[in-house]
Amino acid sequence: MAKFSEIFWHKPLFPGIHKKKQEGRFFTVPMVLSMLFLGLIILCCILAPAISPYSPTEQNLQDSLALPSMKHLLGADKVGRDLLTRLFYGGRTTLLSAIGVVAFSVAAGVPLGLVSGYYGGLADAVIGRVCDVVLAFPSLLLAFVLVAGFGRGMFSAVVALGIVYVPMLARLVRSLTLVEKNKTYVEAAGSIGYSDARIMFIHILPNCVSTITVQITLDLAYAILDLASLSFLGLGVQPPTADWGAMLDEGRNFLLQNPLLALAPGIAIIVTVVALNICSDGLHQYFEPVQRKLPSFKQAEKQAERRKRKEGVA
Amino acid sequence: MIKFICKRVLQMIPILFAVSVLIFCMVRITPSDPIASMTKGRKTSAETRQSLEEKYHLDKSLPEQYLIWITNAMRGDLGDSFEYKQSVNSLIAGRLPTTAQLVLMSAVLALVIAIPTGVISAVRMNRLTDRILSVLTLIFVASPVFLTAIALMLVFALRLKMFPSFGSGKTFAENLRYLFLPSVALSLNMVALISRITRSNMIEQLNSNYAATALAKGIPYYKVVMKHCFKNAVIPVITVASIQIGTMLVGAVLVENVFALGGLGDILIGGVKSSDYPVVQGITLMLVTVFLLINLLVDIVYALIDPRIRLK
Repeated sequence: MAKFSEIFWHKPLFPGIHKKKQEGRFFTVPMVLSMLFLGLIILCCILAPAISPYSPTEQNLQDSLALPSMKHLLGADKVGRDLLTRLFYGGRTTLLSAIGVVAFSVAAGVPLGLVSGYYGGLADAVIGRVCDVVLAFPSLLLAFVLVAGFGRGMFSAVVALGIVYVPMLARLVRSLTLVEKNKTYVEAAGSIGYSDARIMFIHILPNCVSTITVQITLDLAYAILDLASLSFLGLGVQPPTADWGAMLDEGRNFLLQNPLLALAPGIAIIVTVVALNICSDGLHQYFEPVQRKLPSFKQAEKQAERRKRKEGVA
Repeated sequence: MIKFICKRVLQMIPILFAVSVLIFCMVRITPSDPIASMTKGRKTSAETRQSLEEKYHLDKSLPEQYLIWITNAMRGDLGDSFEYKQSVNSLIAGRLPTTAQLVLMSAVLALVIAIPTGVISAVRMNRLTDRILSVLTLIFVASPVFLTAIALMLVFALRLKMFPSFGSGKTFAENLRYLFLPSVALSLNMVALISRITRSNMIEQLNSNYAATALAKGIPYYKVVMKHCFKNAVIPVITVASIQIGTMLVGAVLVENVFALGGLGDILIGGVKSSDYPVVQGITLMLVTVFLLINLLVDIVYALIDPRIRLK
């Protein structure tokens, strides 16, 4: 049943969007651009108190719904809080909670996947059934129910989404472990007498890290989107804390006065998610040599010629 | 085949049971007081409190409450809402048409837009058209549903005034107009995903040996694309699309919220916020059941088409 969703999650979002000359290299143009954007966004979030003269929660009713000007570069919201400042601080909340979601799912999903793949049998069956139950929900719906249980707020939204993301990761790690555990190095480690835990975490896990990293990057993007949805519905981050999703919710009532109030956090979400998707795709192509295309015959010819010329010069 | 269907249906029962337990437990561990939400925070005498508790079986132990709920649910009765003072069934019946119409319209819209787009970008692989379409899909996948909804509302409803910005119509035709923008917003996300899958499937088929054979025999290119490759490429697309309907059910909650359509999503989120247990339990159980049934249906159809799955 989860077959299709599995395919869906583990495939990179955009294979082949930038396959031209730079196959096999890590630093392709989209990769560099998206890393630059991500770096810039993270830097702005870290330096938020230093670069913005305002506080994210300080109200100034004189500037209520001010349009973009030199005083407020992107304008101000209903109670006169500077939008750009709130965008920086909102990025802090959004990114940190997304990292929290992914950290939670890694902390739970990776060991579960390793155990169920390595031992098989009863452990595998139990973990598999639990995953089935979680996957029976459309992902955000389970988050709604969990938030209903834990109460509203950022922390419970993070935990709820963390739980929702565990089965995907657990299944991925399980399938990787199933392949790895039949390899000779695992047998060798076992015959030396290493403990199961040591074999799982020190020998098998490092061989899965590349695929897991790709998935984590992708999960980070999904987590940002899902957290924004929860905050938008008022189930996640509560006002007056700045958060991109919650800001969108507040801003949509003033679409005619200053559409930037809703669009600016929206654009911030899109840029971050697109950059993360491209990174994930780039990592995927880099880590999996099968995905890296060999240079075409012409290119190979050229390379060979160049090499010959160099040798000739030397 | 019948064996396969029976097996899949039987597999679904324990999952549904576990899901119902999970839903029930999660909703009940809330520290908040349901009586307070029923009476809207007014002070209540001990007697009213007791009679309310009796009416909703809140005085019984949790396992007992679960048994009452699940046996009634199996008979098709989802209990009474705390907040709305009416049965969850009638609440759902009143709001389901809007949500169902919204989801169906966007699903159809998504397929109609996405499949041709995917085929075109596969045929024009790595050319300008493909590049532009790829960048567009990149953006639409990354744009949360509610943001797309807000942007569409801003441009087409508030600025151009082509469509109403919220509410729903009385007659069916009028409703179509009200639901147009919401369903476009809901479908764009799916359009991006489906066209991407169509594209990669089509590229795979176009590079296959049979396509080369057909071309070598002199069949025109467009015929090879449409008659040979398209048919093979589109089956997995349809399956993925039907699975995506589950995601769309939740997406509909967000879109309904933006356009104030008054569908299922409103009462679900309202129920989560005011700890209206029966509503949250009922709607969630219904949505999960629908989601599982769609999955089941897709698996069966797939097994009908592809014998390998049946025999596994």
